[in-house]
Formats: sequence, structure tokens, C-alpha cells
Amino acid sequence: MTERITYHKILGEIKHNPVPFNWNDQTLYGNAGESLTAALLANGIRTLRYHEKDGKPRGLYCNIGHCSECRCLINGVRNQRACMTPVRHGMSIEQQTELPHRIKGGR
Amino acid sequence: MYDTIIIGAGPAGLSAARILQHSQKVLIIDEYFHPGGRLLGQLYEEEKGSWWNGLKMADELYEDTKEKTEIKLSTSVYNVEFDETYTVYTTNGNFKSEHLIIATGAREKSTPLPGWDLPGVMTVGAAQVLTNFSRVKPGDKGVIVGVNPLSMVIGLELGYADIEVAKICLPQENLINSDTPREALNTLMSLGKSAPSKPLSLAAGIAETARPFHSTAVKLFPKNGVKAMGMPISIKEKIIRINGTEKVESVTVQKTDAAGTLIADTDRVIDCDFVCLSDGLAPLNEIASLLDLKHIYSEALGGYVPLHSEKMQTELPNLYVAGNITGIENAKIAIFQGELAAHQILNNEALSLNTLTKINNERKHAKVKFHKDLDDGKKMVQNFWSKLGKNPSQ
Repeated sequence: MTERITYHKILGEIKHNPVPFNWNDQTLYGNAGESLTAALLANGIRTLRYHEKDGKPRGLYCNIGHCSECRCLINGVRNQRACMTPVRHGMSIEQQTELPHRIKGGR
Repeated sequence: MYDTIIIGAGPAGLSAARILQHSQKVLIIDEYFHPGGRLLGQLYEEEKGSWWNGLKMADELYEDTKEKTEIKLSTSVYNVEFDETYTVYTTNGNFKSEHLIIATGAREKSTPLPGWDLPGVMTVGAAQVLTNFSRVKPGDKGVIVGVNPLSMVIGLELGYADIEVAKICLPQENLINSDTPREALNTLMSLGKSAPSKPLSLAAGIAETARPFHSTAVKLFPKNGVKAMGMPISIKEKIIRINGTEKVESVTVQKTDAAGTLIADTDRVIDCDFVCLSDGLAPLNEIASLLDLKHIYSEALGGYVPLHSEKMQTELPNLYVAGNITGIENAKIAIFQGELAAHQILNNEALSLNTLTKINNERKHAKVKFHKDLDDGKKMVQNFWSKLGKNPSQ
């Protein structure tokens, strides 16, 4: 189980300002302004999407916007990078799933 | 119309703005939602008790620039054009400027290995940002794949946050990656002062006289690795796969001989809930490529860098580069390079030369060295520049 580092022996304490957000219709709490990847991981969620083609689970990889592995449906917009999106009060984020067979070209 | 647009709000971009903003209209654009670039995760001990805290440095640079410089965050640049002036196309509108500084930094390289697409596998940089910036543990127990300066520094950083690192070792050899135990030992021994070289050589029982380039040093290195600075380092064990169904559950490692060849029937499973891949950094040069700049490949600099002068000039007028796009080095160098680009834009030769001296001094005394042949890489770029570059000052 992952957790927050509330006290760091060199960096000291961190301010915590919990805000609710929706993950697949479930209400979770993140630290206002942190990335959605961090907010979800702090809630023990690693699988951010299922691969469009083979349906395999995927999570955050580079966490700084280069790899696009963390793309999610955020506030109704597909393929938004969770690592580049700060968590805000009431935000909605959903897992993307395997695409229907016909979109994949019948393979 | 801006006097200068800077792409990248990291150490190089912010430090350039800090100088330019007093006499120019400046815009900084960055894709991330927080200024500071990759300063944000950095944390290492420079001298005993004196810490390089990247987050604090980022906050200071932002404090110094937020009043006078326009900073657009969460804004991605997707094209740049040059036609007497520069036009920068972004997800937040298009902007024009007379001068442009490309300070896009670096990306992490990755070599695939079986199981690397499982949730819980991430780059060391990802783990660094989670741990030191977001303050969320990447997991309870991790394994780091790759023995290099970045993986060693971040291994220590995970330790400062009480996150267990079960093993640091090499990836299995493949077409892209052929790190041998000897290369890994050379890396460990040449890391500079912040490095585990001394504790490592003591722990490994390598006498000070057994220089790492002697094959005996690698032979002496215990097969199960050593504990140096609290980190379990193995250079004669390779990770052959990452295991799990829905997420990372373990890794399988196998012992090797001193040459790096796998020894049959020595594989064993190490439980963990996250894995960090560390394959070094590469200059982030897409935007320079959009402007058709010549690029030079240098392994010592991390990959392809746009042709540039030691004063950060490029082939195009009023276009400068600064920071890790010119080669992988530490954040202090990036700050000086940003300042140098700014002095060049302001035509201040005295301050340019002064800053160039600072860069050369820092390069000599850097606590974290990213590549042993860095100076050769820098020289090669300068040779190409003197042959091919249109140096306006000459």
C-alpha cells in the first residue's frame, strides 16, 4: 500500500489541503494542486488505464509528460495526461479501457 | 510581440528571465503546472550537512521572476517558426518574439525489458518527483534497474524518505543496452564526492590500489552485491524480468560472471511493489529540430544536441539554447547557461565571459558527474561549431 510522506527527515513537513475528486464514480481525496498521478497513487491506485489494443493494465511511467502512459478521461476529455494535470476540487477522472474490436481494424 | 520568449521554466529558463526581465518584455512557456522543471525533485548532499534542495531553488527563481516575467504554465509548445522573428505555437495561443531561448531540458532514456509495461514500473525520475515533490511514496519496496549517477543519487533520495530499496543492479544485456560489470564499477568509482565510491570500495573489499580498470576489481566484487551508503548494489547480478499480473509483484535476477555473462541456474525472485528503470538522460531537442538546426550526436552529452557555440548561440540569429538541451549536466550549469544566453541577448560580452568562466569552474568541480567524457563531448561540439556554425561574433 502506498502512502504519503508526511514528514521527511531533510525536507521537513508538507502542507496538506485535501480536496475531493471523482475517480470512476468513486470519491477520493487528493492534496490540492498535486498531480493526478500522485493523488491516485496516494489512494493506492496504480492502474490508470487499460491498453486500447490488448486491454493490459498500465500506470504512470515517466510522470513528467513525456511518455503519455498515464492518459485518462479527465473532465470528459480523452487522452489527458494525469501527470500533467493538477488535482482540483470536484474534478472527474476516469480510466480508459480497451477499444471495441472494430476500431482496432478487426485484428 | 515579446523581446524574448523562453521555452522551459526550469533552472536555465528562469535564470535567463531573471536577467532579461529588467530591460525586456519576456515570456516563459512551460508544459508543467509548477515552475522549476526538474529542479523540483532534486535533493542531494553537496558537503557534509549542506544540501542541494532543488525545490527551494525553484521557488527562489520563481519568486525572482513572477513579477516582471510573464509565465505561462500548463502550456505545450507544438511548433516554432522563424521568419525574421520567431513564432511559437502553443496550446494557449501563438506568440511572437525577436529572440528565442530553447531551454527544454532532458528526457529519460528507457531500455525495455520483459514486464516493463506493468503498473508500478517507472523511471527513476518519476520516483524522484513523487517522493521529493509530491511526497507520495512510489511504493513500499523498490528495485532500481541501472547503475549510473542518476540511479545512485535517487536511490539515496528514496532512503531519505524511508522507502526501502531492495536492490540496485544492471539490466539484462540486449541490443540497446550492453552495460558490463566493469563499466558499472567504473561509473560507481568515478561519481565524484557525493558518490558511494569510497564506502563501496571498502564494502566490496577492493583495496585502494586495485583500480577499477583492473579486472581484479570486478572479480573481487561479491556476487550478491554490497551495501554502500545503505544501498544494496550489485554489479554482478542482472534483472532478467519484472513479474506481476495487474501490477509489479517481484523481479527475477540472475548472477553473472565478471564479464557480465549470465550464470545458469542462479536466478532468484526478489519481492517488490515498484521498479525504477534508470538508463540515463537525453537532451530534449524536438523544438530545435523543428527549426532545422544541425544536430551532433555525443554519447558523453547524452544524445543529439543542436549545434551551438560555448556562448549558447545557434545557427539562427537571435536563437539561443541553454540547459540540458546542450548536454546532460547538473542544474548549476543550467542556471549559468541560462544567464549566459541572457547576457548574449543583451550584448554584454564582459558578463558573458565572466559567466563562461563560472561554467568551466563548476564543470571542473561538479559533485555529480553525469559522464566521464563530458569535456570531450563539449570540445567536439565546439569543433563542429567553429567549422560549421555561422558565428555572428566572428
